[in-house]
Amino acid sequence: MNVNNTQHKKRGLALAVAGVMLSPWAQAADVNISGFLSVGGGFVDDENSIAYGGYDDEDLTFDKNLLGLQVSGQVNEKISATVQMIARSNDDYDLTAEWAYLTWQATDNSKVRVGRLRTPFYMFSDYLDVGYTYAWISAPQELYYLPFNNVNGIDYYLTSALGSFDTSFQVYFGSFNDDFVLTGISATAESKNQMGVAATIGRDWWTLRAAYHQTDLTIEFSDFQLSETVSFNQFLGQLQASPFADTVSKVLVDEDRTTFAEVGLNIDTGRFVAAAEYVEFDVEDSFLSKNIRHYIMGGVRAGDFLFHVTSAKSDDELATPEAGIPASAETAPLIGTLQAIAATRGEFRDTMSYGVRWDVSSGVALKLQYDDVDDNKGEQKVFSVALQSVF
Amino acid sequence: MMKNFLRSLAALAIISWSGLALAEVAVIVHPSASVDSLTADEISRLFMGKSKSFPNGSPAIPLNQDDGSATRDVFNQEICNKSPSQYKAYWSKLVFTGKGTPPKDSGDDAAVKALVAGNPKMIGYVDASVVDDSVKVIHKLP
Repeated sequence: MNVNNTQHKKRGLALAVAGVMLSPWAQAADVNISGFLSVGGGFVDDENSIAYGGYDDEDLTFDKNLLGLQVSGQVNEKISATVQMIARSNDDYDLTAEWAYLTWQATDNSKVRVGRLRTPFYMFSDYLDVGYTYAWISAPQELYYLPFNNVNGIDYYLTSALGSFDTSFQVYFGSFNDDFVLTGISATAESKNQMGVAATIGRDWWTLRAAYHQTDLTIEFSDFQLSETVSFNQFLGQLQASPFADTVSKVLVDEDRTTFAEVGLNIDTGRFVAAAEYVEFDVEDSFLSKNIRHYIMGGVRAGDFLFHVTSAKSDDELATPEAGIPASAETAPLIGTLQAIAATRGEFRDTMSYGVRWDVSSGVALKLQYDDVDDNKGEQKVFSVALQSVF
Repeated sequence: MMKNFLRSLAALAIISWSGLALAEVAVIVHPSASVDSLTADEISRLFMGKSKSFPNGSPAIPLNQDDGSATRDVFNQEICNKSPSQYKAYWSKLVFTGKGTPPKDSGDDAAVKALVAGNPKMIGYVDASVVDDSVKVIHKLP
């Protein structure tokens, strides 16, 4: 039911924007169409170990393809409409409107956008689907894993020159309702009162970025098995009936205050490129761990080739829903179960990635990447390839 | 000194590499435009979408030559410090976020000169050999 609703909302919004652009008073104006494409695949060296980057098969699979189309039209001198539609192979090429918004150019240096926008969590969030704009095949997944990419709301974006520095400032307010899969468990998420700020300062070849977001998050998990005999919902029922009923709220994600903080640095001198990012994502009073993730990347260009190496790390802090329950022989199984639930949500991983990007011609890049993954659940080596383009 | 030296070396490398030893590029505006010269940095800010007006505050409309033009490649490398691929990546970031629109591809030397000659807000770049009285040169490179 929820799935259908979300789909209808997405299509409705896309149709509305398309309608605006096709209306008679827009026909005379400029309509810009641009697009991007990524075709790629990969394989792992041990299919009995962990999956990484969407790959878990020793045979080469080409299932990471996407095609994006963006149409923007000038409604009048100050107002434009934009819709970005993306079809992904791992979504059966269902066309969805990832973005659809109206822009009001308030001044030369500031604009207000209303509609479905990309949430500016990370340094590469804005153009995450446009692989052509960065060195990797896809951004390090230790950080770039949040399923909540977009938000319905309003934002304000301002650029300005401070002396010889270029700065930008973005602030937004909104909410979302989304279905996703969290390590094999399907869930529905809803955010309320979501707001955030992202700011950059830079000059010539470097840019510093910082962002902070917060929301009241609710996640409803489908019932899943904790053990062969007990499901998640059964366990919660038992907990509710126990003297420790107030612990239920420390497990569930129910309008819990959620925060996301990020700092990043991006460098491109033409010859050398480098990037580093650090994030913390915390859903208070829930069984989800506090995610602490970072990476550092360095690379060098030689002619049409860019060679790069990246070290990424996940070092989460497990939740402690058992806190406050007195330890005794009777409570030991309960404490054990709560700790086991929390332990499933932590990621402890070191990944080294080596890659090369070849600019075949203007607008087309061929990329190869090798990831050496060392996870607390296993090891993995991943080989992947992609052809990425903008047009 | 060192910077100029390196810049010249880079220019030499680019020019010899693309076989454009004779290409001298002129940045042009309308003869009546209230601007007589701009630095490379000021031109770069206009063409990279970082500012939308001339230093004196009057609005500016930058014009690109079409993708693949040798004049365009020299201009982007020298003024914007970007190869054709890097230039494309830079603008893709802004286009696909709705945060900016690149200067319009407006044809070759002759087409850009004709457009600039007809509009006091426009700024373009052409091979220096096509410059005449219909436009005013405000910067020359290399």
